[in-house]
Amino acid sequence: MFDNILLGLSALSDVTMLVAIAAGVLGGVMIGVLPGLSSTMGVALLIPVTFSMPPQVGLAMLGGIYLSSTYSGSISAILLNIPGTSAAVATLLDGHPMSKRGQSTRAISLATFGSCIGGLISVVALLFIAPPLAEFSLMFGSPEYFLLAVFGITVIASLSAGAMEKGLIAGAIGLMLSTIGNHPLTGEMRYTWGLPSLYDGIPLVVSLIGLYSIPEVIDMIAKRNQTERPLIDTDASNPFTFLPEVLSHKINLLRSSLIGIVVGIIPGVGCSVGGFLSYDAAKRISKKSKEFGNGSPEGVIACETANNAVTGGTLIPLLTLGIPGNPVTAVLLGGIMIHGLRPGAELFTLNAEITYGFILSLFVANLLFVPIGLFIAKYCVRIIQVPRSILAPTIMTLAVVGAYSIRNSLEDIMIMLFVGAIGFIFQLFNVPRAPLVLGLVLGTLAEGELARSLALVHGDIFAFATQLVTRPISFVILLFCFYALYQGIVQHRKKSKILDD
Amino acid sequence: MNGRIKVVALVLALATVSTILPSFESKAADFPKKPLAMIVAYSPGGGTDTAARVIAKYVQPHLGQRLIIQNKPGAGGQIGFTALANAKNDGYKIGFINIPSIFMVKMLRDNVPYEMSDYEAIANIQLDPVVLTVKADSPYQTFEEFINAVKKNPGNVNVGGDGPQSNNQLQVVVAEDKLGADVNFVPFNGSGPAITATLGDQVVASVPSASSATSHIQNGRLRALAVFADKRYKYLPDVPTIKEASGVEVPSIGASMRGVAVPKGMDPDRKKIIEDAFAKVMKDPEFIAHADKMGLPLHYMNARDFDAYLKTAAESVESYISLLK
Repeated sequence: MFDNILLGLSALSDVTMLVAIAAGVLGGVMIGVLPGLSSTMGVALLIPVTFSMPPQVGLAMLGGIYLSSTYSGSISAILLNIPGTSAAVATLLDGHPMSKRGQSTRAISLATFGSCIGGLISVVALLFIAPPLAEFSLMFGSPEYFLLAVFGITVIASLSAGAMEKGLIAGAIGLMLSTIGNHPLTGEMRYTWGLPSLYDGIPLVVSLIGLYSIPEVIDMIAKRNQTERPLIDTDASNPFTFLPEVLSHKINLLRSSLIGIVVGIIPGVGCSVGGFLSYDAAKRISKKSKEFGNGSPEGVIACETANNAVTGGTLIPLLTLGIPGNPVTAVLLGGIMIHGLRPGAELFTLNAEITYGFILSLFVANLLFVPIGLFIAKYCVRIIQVPRSILAPTIMTLAVVGAYSIRNSLEDIMIMLFVGAIGFIFQLFNVPRAPLVLGLVLGTLAEGELARSLALVHGDIFAFATQLVTRPISFVILLFCFYALYQGIVQHRKKSKILDD
Repeated sequence: MNGRIKVVALVLALATVSTILPSFESKAADFPKKPLAMIVAYSPGGGTDTAARVIAKYVQPHLGQRLIIQNKPGAGGQIGFTALANAKNDGYKIGFINIPSIFMVKMLRDNVPYEMSDYEAIANIQLDPVVLTVKADSPYQTFEEFINAVKKNPGNVNVGGDGPQSNNQLQVVVAEDKLGADVNFVPFNGSGPAITATLGDQVVASVPSASSATSHIQNGRLRALAVFADKRYKYLPDVPTIKEASGVEVPSIGASMRGVAVPKGMDPDRKKIIEDAFAKVMKDPEFIAHADKMGLPLHYMNARDFDAYLKTAAESVESYISLLK
């Protein structure tokens, strides 16, 4: 193993390799910052470019894009209240309030260092304990996925920012929207009005753009004549002064990294869910849980550390078993196969130089997005001082172009505007939007896996219920679900009592 | 002054005419003058897209122009196939089509706005059959043992595969019909998740596409019992065909084929140029070497053979489609 690491190091010491990583990271940061350009698209569009490169160089570049775009979605989430990628939806809950208070640089620094540490820990897991962890990913069957989705939905309580009923309404609307499109098991079309662009359901990235950009644009236009400008920094403006603060959240960093890695290993769950679950855990455990939703540094760190820890986690089943965990790694698998490499044991023995070179390049990429991200963020921070009359139309343009470019489809612009209208109504009535995203992400998973679980036991509901308690992992998740519900109800009661008094 | 205006007007008129003129010429000699676009009905990074991008790279010298991939994903290919049917037939828009998906979309849904007669075949590029796999430690060593177990317990053996309404599921219903067996087909989000479910003992067997199962079979985690094709699969020479394994002829219409087609009514000279370019690239040793490295199962058919295949395959799929509804 250590010879292999040395072999990887020798591959890494090549200058072209470092240039490729830097190019990937720079591109990835840009892709992440711009809402509408997703990590998946970035990696997919660059695969043909990596054709002609040596495999480890091409893979290092793709890896750089994946890691850095997952991180940099937080920059637009913090500054503009618009998540650059779906992974940053939970970051926005506390990141943007911090920015409004004049702590933009602080929030971005927390996100950057958190992402870096989460990413590094996950790559360590990938490097040293990938094979046993990969076996864990095979233990997840349909009943486990179904319960995991249910558990994810209980997170709504934490995302509701005190307004539990409104959060539940938003979550329910998200779940309902997720039923649009073909049924995952029978292929029957539902609520599609005969429009082919709705057959696959409402595309997540398109709806994210609408849900967050449109209300923001309307809000900016409404306030265009206000002359007071938001403060950039009331604290220090050197991002590195916040590094000790990040490091002081030792337990938060460790817990969030672990959650991220585990979520990453389970195929089909992904970065945004990792962020949500970790945010929820941080809020439940924190002594200052009231600050969550109003600019809690702990919330930003928890979410960002976890969503980047997912990246290393997803690569574990990908490289050892050839099982991609999310759309980005599915595309990355194509990038690996195009060079004639086959995931599996062979990758770690026969092609050890390439594989370990790639894994070690991920360390470099995780470290490199810190200076590159902070450098770009330094200029992005000034965006919030741009006059609203310029900023609003710019964001609107980006939203339309972004929605169109995902599938080259005009209909997607309509979908974006429709979800945008929902977002505007939500904002008007102070309904939190994150539960809707959660419902949209997890609804499809929950429905499909429930249907599949039942199909596997030939529709026998009793047999399915027995499975839920007899399969060890599903039993553990079931206990988590009950605990989350119990705690949610207790807290809610406590709060209403305080109000009554 | 007046004269000057006339001169300017004349120059402008000439300039306009000279830009319009070339588009009237349809001389094959100067085709193609600009890059061609190839519509791919699936997302960037997927199997179809990757195959399309590799061939696009190698066809460039034979075509004399770049071939640019245009992804029009969505609705199981329907959006992209429709875009190709409606594309301008000037030769600059061609498309990558998937068989039998292009038939199945048309036959399973109402109001699909394309007909198979909207396309003209150029060449078939690859053929990726469906393969029946079990986990390495499964009790079933051969196809015979497996099918006997299925027959003993009709409708109860779980078989996972891409679905619903996929080419893999089509292959399963065809095989059930011919072999007189009945399995419980459970759809997954693609061949990859179906393989994962097999490795995780969620299902007894799975029916992934051969290209996605090859690496798992080669590294010994999965065992292939039979391949649904007339000939053995190039990268899995030890796996028997379904005829060899069962003695029964099972039509391999579930095999996923990818080929190139153009909108109907294209200028024959231009069509010939595109046909020739694809015929040449399919013999290009560099392309073949790259495809081998990636495990792309190439299978060339020229325009006439591909066209004939499309017609017979459509009829064959039609006769089984009711089993999927």
